[in-house]
Amino acid sequence: MTDDHPTRESLERFLLGQLPASEMRLVSRHLFTGCAECRRIAGDDWETEGGEAAGAREDCTGVLDAYDAVFDKVLQRVSLKEALIARERMAARELCEELTQHPTSRQLLLVSNSVRFRNPALCDLLLERSQEAAFQAEMTRSIDLARLAIVLAETLTEEGCGSAEVRNGLLMRAWAQLGNAHRLNGEHPEAEQAFEAANTFLGEDGQFGLLDAARVLDLEASLRRDQRRFDEAMDLLDRVVAIYQQLGQRSLLGRALKQKSLVCGEAGDLESEMDLLKQSLEHIDPVEEPRTFLSARHNLVIALYQSGRASEAFTLLFHTRPLYLKMGDRMTLLRLRWVEGMVACGMGRAEQAEVAFREVRDAFVELQLDYDAAVVSLDLAGVYVLQGRSADLRRLAEEMLAVFTSRNIPREAFGALLFFCEAAKLEKAEAAVVHEVSEFLKRARGNPDLRFTPTSW
Amino acid sequence: MSIAQYSRQMSALDQPQVDSYLEDFLKRVRPRLKYLFARYSIPSQDTEDILQQALLALVYQRHAVRDPEAWLLGTLRNKCLLYWRDHRRKLYESVDAAVLELMAGAVSPAQETSDVQRDLENALGRLPERCRSLLSLRYRGYQPLELAEALGYKPASISKVTNRCLAALTRQLLTVSPSKKKTGT
Repeated sequence: MTDDHPTRESLERFLLGQLPASEMRLVSRHLFTGCAECRRIAGDDWETEGGEAAGAREDCTGVLDAYDAVFDKVLQRVSLKEALIARERMAARELCEELTQHPTSRQLLLVSNSVRFRNPALCDLLLERSQEAAFQAEMTRSIDLARLAIVLAETLTEEGCGSAEVRNGLLMRAWAQLGNAHRLNGEHPEAEQAFEAANTFLGEDGQFGLLDAARVLDLEASLRRDQRRFDEAMDLLDRVVAIYQQLGQRSLLGRALKQKSLVCGEAGDLESEMDLLKQSLEHIDPVEEPRTFLSARHNLVIALYQSGRASEAFTLLFHTRPLYLKMGDRMTLLRLRWVEGMVACGMGRAEQAEVAFREVRDAFVELQLDYDAAVVSLDLAGVYVLQGRSADLRRLAEEMLAVFTSRNIPREAFGALLFFCEAAKLEKAEAAVVHEVSEFLKRARGNPDLRFTPTSW
Repeated sequence: MSIAQYSRQMSALDQPQVDSYLEDFLKRVRPRLKYLFARYSIPSQDTEDILQQALLALVYQRHAVRDPEAWLLGTLRNKCLLYWRDHRRKLYESVDAAVLELMAGAVSPAQETSDVQRDLENALGRLPERCRSLLSLRYRGYQPLELAEALGYKPASISKVTNRCLAALTRQLLTVSPSKKKTGT
């Protein structure tokens, strides 16, 4: 302090919170008295140093060279770590193979107690495998692997991972993966708990990677969508979109926009769904991510059909057909056939639609994809209703009852199907009934808690 | 031979080959990174941690990152903002502690405490109503839970609201009123 004014240096250090407590108090006190000169100096420095949100300095020539020594030092350190990480990755594959030889309880024991398994890359690999298992509908395995990843991540140290950010990233992704596996298994309360645990890492201290945060928020949005808490799902996805924009990850941004479109679709907002799908397609690279690109196009065709724009759906489907054929796997080809049936139905080509829906339904029954078979059966029922073929409708209802009674259809969904069959039997299954049951089945797929309350009959 | 070159040569001899893409990548993006740090006025000594954390995260997530340059720039921009947010938080806490201490009169004679009260009231008077009420109660000795109850905030959010008000108070300390700007003290 000079002449009762803090020095320039003191003011700078005050702004950085670096003065001893007693001096902080003196400078605060001085500024309280309203000393305009000191306030001006401190205020100017405040603007310059980091600025408010966007307050970045434009003229920075002359200070750039000072960073070179730091960059060289950091590069040396990270290069060493890079080699170590590469070795950890190679070891992780072997450790993962070794682990999977054992029953789940033994796996947990090994991961908790054996230092050999304390490998961040192994944790990453377990999460990858858990996700793959979920894709293949092996839900118990997916849940077990996610749990294993959590136990492993909890044994890892910040030092072992290189930073708190990497460790926290693994932990929060592991919890979110567990939450997602529970969601896909229809266990919403368990999913809720897991996401709560994942969110504890998204604190204000910023000790997490943005990409990890986006993944967690994205998966949580899927849970909110399934729970039909659409506003929350959209808020979460807005955050995801903002992160991918900030990180310049176009492809991931495209995926997030596609996720948002799904929420709009579920909420019945077809216009927003289509807008978002179009935006999403602008960001997804069809060469690098052909399946995601196809899936967005597929959804757009369906949304166009559902909003009564069948000829636009037809044109888009015409241009998209080569992508389905290029994928070539059976499920993709069945989806193509299904959407062909929908578009044909929208174009008033009932015979073509009937043939397509029958083919798809038979294939789903054969593959024991009961839920999909039930949904496509209702599309077929819609064709019969349009043509006034009540005898065919009754027969279809009897076939459905025979197939699905002995199959794995959740209770509420089965109740809705029974309602349709009863209406068909009494010749009261009009378009509204078919639509209501079909929409319920689509909504209830991700939400086993949903109750069927018929209004159309 | 630099340490990095030496260690890479050693690892090539006794370890499986590792493709170090980091050096080339960093060489390419270095000018932009330096410019970014300079734009955000990050002191060179403090860039070390920030850069190291970001690069390590990139190495770990390499397979998941499609555009590493955009990712690194976005991540560093975020870290620069967090750096300043962290500093600001420390500043707000320090100002708060200083005021609490001054108000308690533990280190000041009675006359000074009364002057502090007057100056503080002046500063608080220029804050939005909600912050004025919150900080007035805080400096009269209300604890966070009591504050939440008195002002109708959720207990979980009182800390965040208090921080926002402290930020407003600190900004007030660093703002010269128009009349004083012209005439000086």
